Amino acid sequence: MHDDLEQRRTLAQLLRGLPQETAPPYGFREFQRRARRRAAGVRGVSVGQLLAASVLVALGIVAVSLRLAGPREHPLPVVSQSATADAPARAAATAPDTGSDALERLLASLPREPAVARVGERAAVIGLEDRIAQVDDLLSAARSSHAQPARVQKLQEERTRLVGALLQVRYAETLADASR
Amino acid sequence: MPVTRLADTGVADDVVAQACAGDESAREAIYAALAPATLTLIRRMVGQRPLCEDIFQDTMMALYERLPQFRREAPLGAWLRQIAINRCLAYLRSPWQRARMCLEAPGLSVAPDAQLVTPAFRSDAIDVERALATLTPTARAVVWMYEVEGYSHEEIAREFGRSVSFSKSQLARAHARMRAWLDPQENRPSCTMI
Repeated sequence: MHDDLEQRRTLAQLLRGLPQETAPPYGFREFQRRARRRAAGVRGVSVGQLLAASVLVALGIVAVSLRLAGPREHPLPVVSQSATADAPARAAATAPDTGSDALERLLASLPREPAVARVGERAAVIGLEDRIAQVDDLLSAARSSHAQPARVQKLQEERTRLVGALLQVRYAETLADASR
Repeated sequence: MPVTRLADTGVADDVVAQACAGDESAREAIYAALAPATLTLIRRMVGQRPLCEDIFQDTMMALYERLPQFRREAPLGAWLRQIAINRCLAYLRSPWQRARMCLEAPGLSVAPDAQLVTPAFRSDAIDVERALATLTPTARAVVWMYEVEGYSHEEIAREFGRSVSFSKSQLARAHARMRAWLDPQENRPSCTMI
């Protein structure tokens, strides 16, 4: 016990006896220069964030208006009473998903993904792309098995929502890349 | 030159007052007085040189920003030490660093991080630096705060947001590890003649 205490005391003395940095890593002028650069960087980021936020709000409004306007502009095909039992399913399955298409066109118009991406953004993009691929699989299966129109419609709505989210993330990524 | 505790480093009141008023030469004098000890503290706690410079820059910028709030109840170095330690702990608690620490399983890395070792003149100092470098960043921070900066276990626990026993166990394990590094004979199994 005594030995243990003694060893601890010796170790503490050795730690306190370690050499110190004799000079700062850089001079005061360099410190000031770095401080100014960092402050300018913070201002740049905040302007970029403001811009990204306003664009996201605008995109949200566009997405909502597309969603509301979609059914009026592209009504689902009217199916007559005499049609066969699986006709509604086929009609829903073949109906163009206008909201999703419009968002995909917007998505395609964005610049290519930056060579250097943030981990968080990249993970969000990959996650959304995976989920869109899953929904596409489900949609294909539903269409080929002539599933209920309601199910196909629901899957299309989910796809539109996911593509909208992907568009927002990619747009924010593009803006952040431009402001760097 | 042995470690000067940042907490003991003071700056004359009139220099602080002039710096608060925006006098550049007074600010430069404060920088010259406090920067080496601040860098030493950050280096011992964090380790990697580029990262240390980043945290050092943050700390010194925070010092000048908050200087008008300094109430002169303790040396300016003690006040700056708190800012520096908060910055270091914020880094150690960051998700990125935690993920890195999970990848580097404690106890597996025996070779010390070369960047932690300050070129020293005495061989025992090099040994202690190397022993310190074998610790995990958290253990190293606890050892440094307790043994050199004079923090109590209660204060360390509060800074880390953990219990007092966390601080005590980190310190005990770090001591054992450092002793094993400094005196390998101690850990060798003894031979018994039958």
